[in-house]
Amino acid sequence: MAYHNQYRPPHYNSAPPDQGFLWNIFQRVDKDRSGAISDTELQQALSNGTWTPFNPVTVRSIISMFDRENKGGVNFNEFAGVWKYISDWQNIFRTYDKDNSGFIDKNELKQALTGFGEFVIIVIFYDSQNHRQCCLFLFFNPLLTDVFRRYDTDQDGWIQVSYEQYLSMVFNVV
Amino acid sequence: DRSGYISAKELKQALMNSNNSSFNDETCMMMLRRVDVFGFSALWTFLQQWRAVFQQFDRDRSGSINSNEMHQALSQMGYNLSPQFIQELVNRYSARGVNRVLQLDRFIQVCTQLQSMTQAFREKDTAMTGNVRMSYEDFLSV
Repeated sequence: MAYHNQYRPPHYNSAPPDQGFLWNIFQRVDKDRSGAISDTELQQALSNGTWTPFNPVTVRSIISMFDRENKGGVNFNEFAGVWKYISDWQNIFRTYDKDNSGFIDKNELKQALTGFGEFVIIVIFYDSQNHRQCCLFLFFNPLLTDVFRRYDTDQDGWIQVSYEQYLSMVFNVV
Repeated sequence: DRSGYISAKELKQALMNSNNSSFNDETCMMMLRRVDVFGFSALWTFLQQWRAVFQQFDRDRSGSINSNEMHQALSQMGYNLSPQFIQELVNRYSARGVNRVLQLDRFIQVCTQLQSMTQAFREKDTAMTGNVRMSYEDFLSV
């Protein structure tokens, strides 16, 4: 998943979090105290707002984006990167949440998506006081965008495809 | 490991193709999801049913399904797909370093994915024209 690194969000200069605060969170998530947060640990820490576990493919993408040593987890320094990445996106979220509702509604989302072409997931972290820190995580899937764009010749965001074309498109991304 | 739960790793060790290769990760994960919903015995029934279909269409008894056999299998299942498309499908999903054939695991994977994608297509193609018009948003939600 190396291509993810080319698509970092524009820097919104989110203030670096207090190291102590970040270390607290890191320790809570790193349950087996291995010094690195694994896929499983991150999955357990993330909530998508329902009872179903966070999608393991998404978790894998997040970890692989920051796991520089290919060890299958992120250490504290790399985790700081994860945090900053999400904070940057949180700022972008805020610029699209025009009515400041804390949610992006369908219209706001449509604008955001047309702008960046990402797949959107809501990530909820719990801070040390068990308060929900809601943030929007934008997971890049340039593959989805590429495949769609190939068929959208007039670039209007709509395509007309036959059954087999449709199958080809989807099989290209699964 | 007698934990009362079957992990993907344990499932992978239990399931084998006829050429003694273990089931690929995607098929194992897909089956694990079914265990959550339907329980283990239903999973086993599911597997046996697919194995029966596989054997029915593995006409040359090679232990794998080639593009031709796949075409017959899919026709029988009611799919109307071009031979070229099926060839590409088999090529894409065949294990690396092997002839362009599907073992049981990938056969199951392809068929089940085809089922859900066709379902998704049908939901959009209410007029049954064989064509759909969809937005980027629609495509993402697939």
